[in-house]
Amino acid sequence: MEFADLLYKIFLKDGGWLTILNGLWVTVQISALSLLLGTVLGSLLCFFRLGKIKPLKIVAQVYISIIRGSPVLMLLMLLFYGVFARQGLSPILVAVITFSMHTAAHVAELLRSALMALDKGQVEAARTLGFSKWQAFKLVTFPQLVRIAKPVYQSTVVNLIQWTSVVGYVTITDLTRVINNIASRTMQPMITIIGGMIIYLALSYLVYGIFHWTDRRRTQ
Amino acid sequence: MKLKKIAKVLLSCLVAGALFTGCGGGDKPADKPADTGDKPAASTGNVKLGMISHLNVTEQKMDEILKMVEEESNVPLTNFTVTYYDNLKLMQMGIESGSVDQISLYTSVADYVIANNDKYEKVSDLTLKNLSDTFCFAVRKDDAALKADLDKALDAMKADGSLDKLAKEYITDVDKGTAPPAIEIPMTDGAQTIKVGVTGDLPPLDYVSADGKAAGFNTALLAEVAKRSGKNIEIVDIDSGARAAALSSGQIDVIFWVVVPTVSKVPADIDKPEGVELSNPYFKDNIEHLKLKK
Repeated sequence: MEFADLLYKIFLKDGGWLTILNGLWVTVQISALSLLLGTVLGSLLCFFRLGKIKPLKIVAQVYISIIRGSPVLMLLMLLFYGVFARQGLSPILVAVITFSMHTAAHVAELLRSALMALDKGQVEAARTLGFSKWQAFKLVTFPQLVRIAKPVYQSTVVNLIQWTSVVGYVTITDLTRVINNIASRTMQPMITIIGGMIIYLALSYLVYGIFHWTDRRRTQ
Repeated sequence: MKLKKIAKVLLSCLVAGALFTGCGGGDKPADKPADTGDKPAASTGNVKLGMISHLNVTEQKMDEILKMVEEESNVPLTNFTVTYYDNLKLMQMGIESGSVDQISLYTSVADYVIANNDKYEKVSDLTLKNLSDTFCFAVRKDDAALKADLDKALDAMKADGSLDKLAKEYITDVDKGTAPPAIEIPMTDGAQTIKVGVTGDLPPLDYVSADGKAAGFNTALLAEVAKRSGKNIEIVDIDSGARAAALSSGQIDVIFWVVVPTVSKVPADIDKPEGVELSNPYFKDNIEHLKLKK
């Protein structure tokens, strides 16, 4: 069989590309929602972690070390087949919860390291100049925090997209699952998987592109 | 700047491609001496064989089972060094990369593989035809009512010949290159819904069609079972590695099960995990080995 025919048969024939797009959409949905929730939750965690309330600080510390030290697939299986097994939650919801929890731990750590990289003297100077606590954060800390945390955050986003490839284990048909199904149906695993990789790669480059674009807008 | 980026993407694709085809291409020369060496070796010793791992059975246990089957059936199974794969796709990648020399499949699946990928051919080893596996459903042990219903539907289908008709229609008569179409499972309001996990890993029995719907013989069978038992059947696409967890946690109610070759010394439920009950068999298929063409 000619290579072009093979490609056509694997990726396009009988609306196969639509199925791939559907899978891609599921991946994007889970990633985007988890990123949003994870970032909010992560900021909160970071706030607790660096705050002055002792019990919250310990809770945040324990949470971060447990989540960061365990594979996300285990957490996903545990939540879907254990904790939420009888609640009848939709698998996508459970996946979003899992990946939000996971992303939150990572975001909390990356925010903490960015905060630690900042010069404390600047905030103190702002405070002596009469800025309120909130003003000092908004005008002095935050802009620098964004600049420092951005590159790491970007790689967290890309990582998150790739972590979501395990949701096939909880009955979700995402991009990886679609690719696997196609590989089994067409009996051409190598080519199909390379195709899947290229789609994930494109998604990652899209994320890089978006970050690059916001960088340029800020400098202009 | 942009050009540079595009070039980068293309380059990484190329590297990925080269890596994979490199594996395939590099194997062939390496395969040849190995394969010619295998032919005489097949009678005396070690052929590396890929097998799909059975759910919940350790490799040691599986070796024991194979030994028992060998004693009973005189099929020289211990000549093979077995590598277990999670699913058909991984096994296929295993043989294409040269990790194994042959892969063990069911005849219907082997026919489908050959029709869709002309790199494969059957190993003409007739003794293997003595071995056949039977297919059935597995349900949770506490779900005795469901098992009874499934058995009743299967028995009725066997009795009036519709089971054979389905098998003929969806397996035997299928134009080998094309896959049988997906079937809509009738849904009645208010009826009890049972969830059946499919993996899409075993065409033409179980696969996912191009438009993303579960299809194949198993789906057709389920549609008929739904009609006869008056239940709604919801098909859930699930990764094969998570089937045990899904069944025992109650997220799905039924999975498909394959029973090892049944000979008098080997009980049908030898690899059956605790807490699982098997239905009556609905299909029987022979073992077939495939290898790459030289």
